[in-house]
Amino acid sequence: MSQPPLDLVCIEPRFPGRLGGVADWLVRRRGYRVRFFCNQADPAVQWPEATGRGIEVVAFNVGGVARETSVEWPKVLERSLCYAYGCWEVLEGRRPRPVDLILGRSNGLGSSLYAPVIFPRTPIVQFFDTYFDPDRREPGDEAERRPDTYRHWRLAANAVELVELENGVTPWTATDYQRSLFPTPYRDDFHVLHDGVETRGLPARHRDPLTIGGRTIPADAKVVTFVARSLDRLRGFDRFVGIVDRLVRAEPNVVAVAVGSRVADHPFDFAHYGRDYPLILLGENPPTSLERLWMPGVLPPDDVRRLLARSDLHVYASRPHPASRSLVEAMAAGCVVLAFETEAALEVIEPGVSGLLVPTDLDEASRIALGVLQDPAAHRPLGEAAAERVRERYSRDVTLPRLADLFDRLASGGR
Amino acid sequence: MHILFLHDAFPAQFGRLGLELADRYGWKCSYLIRNFSRCPEPTPAMLERLDIHRYIVPQAPATAQPAWPQIYGQFVDQCRAVADALRSMPGLRPDLVVANGGRGAPTLLVPEVLDCPIVTYCEYYFATSHGDLTYRLDLPPAEPAPFFPRVINAPTLVSLASAKAGYSATRWQRDTFPERYRSKIEVHFDGVDDRLYSPGPRLSSIAGRSVPEGTKVVTYVARGLESVRGFDLFLAAADRIARARSDVLFVVAGDDRAYYGWDTFHAGGLPFKEWAMSKVGCDPSRFLFLDHVSPETLAEVLRRSDLHLYLSVPFVVSWSLFNALSTGLVVLGADIDPVREVIEHGVTGLIAPLFDVDRIAETALKVLDDPAEYAPLGRAARAMIEERYSLDVAVSPLKDFFERVAAR
Repeated sequence: MSQPPLDLVCIEPRFPGRLGGVADWLVRRRGYRVRFFCNQADPAVQWPEATGRGIEVVAFNVGGVARETSVEWPKVLERSLCYAYGCWEVLEGRRPRPVDLILGRSNGLGSSLYAPVIFPRTPIVQFFDTYFDPDRREPGDEAERRPDTYRHWRLAANAVELVELENGVTPWTATDYQRSLFPTPYRDDFHVLHDGVETRGLPARHRDPLTIGGRTIPADAKVVTFVARSLDRLRGFDRFVGIVDRLVRAEPNVVAVAVGSRVADHPFDFAHYGRDYPLILLGENPPTSLERLWMPGVLPPDDVRRLLARSDLHVYASRPHPASRSLVEAMAAGCVVLAFETEAALEVIEPGVSGLLVPTDLDEASRIALGVLQDPAAHRPLGEAAAERVRERYSRDVTLPRLADLFDRLASGGR
Repeated sequence: MHILFLHDAFPAQFGRLGLELADRYGWKCSYLIRNFSRCPEPTPAMLERLDIHRYIVPQAPATAQPAWPQIYGQFVDQCRAVADALRSMPGLRPDLVVANGGRGAPTLLVPEVLDCPIVTYCEYYFATSHGDLTYRLDLPPAEPAPFFPRVINAPTLVSLASAKAGYSATRWQRDTFPERYRSKIEVHFDGVDDRLYSPGPRLSSIAGRSVPEGTKVVTYVARGLESVRGFDLFLAAADRIARARSDVLFVVAGDDRAYYGWDTFHAGGLPFKEWAMSKVGCDPSRFLFLDHVSPETLAEVLRRSDLHLYLSVPFVVSWSLFNALSTGLVVLGADIDPVREVIEHGVTGLIAPLFDVDRIAETALKVLDDPAEYAPLGRAARAMIEERYSLDVAVSPLKDFFERVAAR
């Protein structure tokens, strides 16, 4: 099917967020025009190539409780409505025309809820990240540590997703695991399709010295990587540190690099949200060698790709939660991935074929990790199979044409 | 069987039902409520035989109606207050909880305290546009109209997503819910008191005003005199009827306030009754406004009525419609689906297009001109209530339903 260019409105609280990469591909590969409405934007170094050249970024403000750093759990929907209303105000003021399709992602903050007020007949595809099933041990796997307010917040927070699901949208999510989190009556409605990772122009794997964040990794170093939006407990930074500590005791040349913000920005990491989690963790459990644990912070995407191309072992230590893009990007780079066993990781990795899955026992995980570092040749096929799996299933060039097909079908229905 | 009914108000939907379950089957019926209501008021029998507990919501705002973005927060606070109240009453351990879900059943945290099934009374699911509160495109626009309907259902959705079972009073009410949820919502009407609302002797006066036998009485009843219930449309039709016949008295029962819609916006800040009376320009002497009345008074008023007008927009069917039909009155209702579920035009009542006040008036005048011709409609309405909607008919299936859910 030919895929004609469409006029797309994207709505997401933050740019580029998750939809920015999708918009970038649609602009550069399918000739779309995208107006991206957001409340905040990452530093320009994180922006995709088509920003300003097909993607017009439009900011909207939020008022009320959305201006507060965090809100009490009864106010989760009110906060979302502030985002939805803020976006509506700008849409109402600008009245962009034409609009073939609206692509939204609320990420728990509300976004496209009021777009139908202005565009009542325009199809909306809404990306959904997660749903908090109180009967399921997700996210995180340590229920006994959760305070009442956290459980109550999880119960109350679903309202955002539910009103959006009932807003006449086509729901879209990235994985079957994410779809399975939603109440049964909604699951059949979901379009499950990964938004893909860039596989063109990836740097070749190498063992050359590499300078990252002002420090140079020597050629003989065995590089163990960890990448997350923030170095928090939900994504298992504590587990990574535990493994690294064991590895540096056994292997003299290990350099561990943890990429991501030091400030835990995931509300699920309720005990550390908004705090410097590495500082807390390493203060409580000083590592054997802080010199060999590098934390360069948030890196530009190209630097992350170069790092992953140099990685000897990538640790994906997340607790139960939708799989990170970093997992798929590490696989795309041909990394040997050691992942903690969760439903989400199992969907992406074939154990023993395209990666290694381990239980939550750190000693066992460390033993397997050490085996990878000590015999890289024997484990290289895992990395190659991982890269092949991504090329077949998770490359943007594979997944986004399907998304463009969906968009075209929905948009042509309204013509 | 021990049922705990959760509702903002008492007796509302559950008071009479609980009394029937207690009297007919010996069930223990407990209530956790915030307020006693005046429409209707609790009867002495209810207060004597039912186990009623009140709870307070410490975080409740000073104003009765929060701004629309805060409705969900108020619901969550209510859920928290309900759970706290239940924790403070360890002796209250029912076999089943039945919760009113009019604005979302406040049961979010109940499973933390009680280990029993929960039934949600699925009263209504608001339309995002062109329905209920957004149906009156003929009125000046209301600022919340584009926003409110997309969030008002949030409490309902949250409670429904986790509910095991629900029930609605009518098929139309059930069908307002998203199709995905309908399979777990049964239809069980909760019963009209057809002994109280029954044909009988006609009063010679109403609220101290003499009503000679030759006077034609047209009734209009709603909890609030508001646009959602078509009060202004009633006035417009009444004005036409009054101009055609000088012997008609319009008797109106209901509070001078809006319970559901945005009449403050529609009326530019004026009370909607005042705004509508002024807009229509009707002669106040032809109207008798009773404000809120007791069920007993309402039954007497309806017995004296020659015609009852029911001109609601598509919304939860009012008790007053069933009460009027039960009284054996000729009812002229708006041509909307929820009314069509109850009234078969020309058989158990009459139906006319909601906004066509000329047609409504014309039809009303025919009834008033030739009551004998239309009397069979009233008798058929009464028979229909006895067969389909009376307490005797309705309570037993509800009892079976509750038992089935409690046994799960």
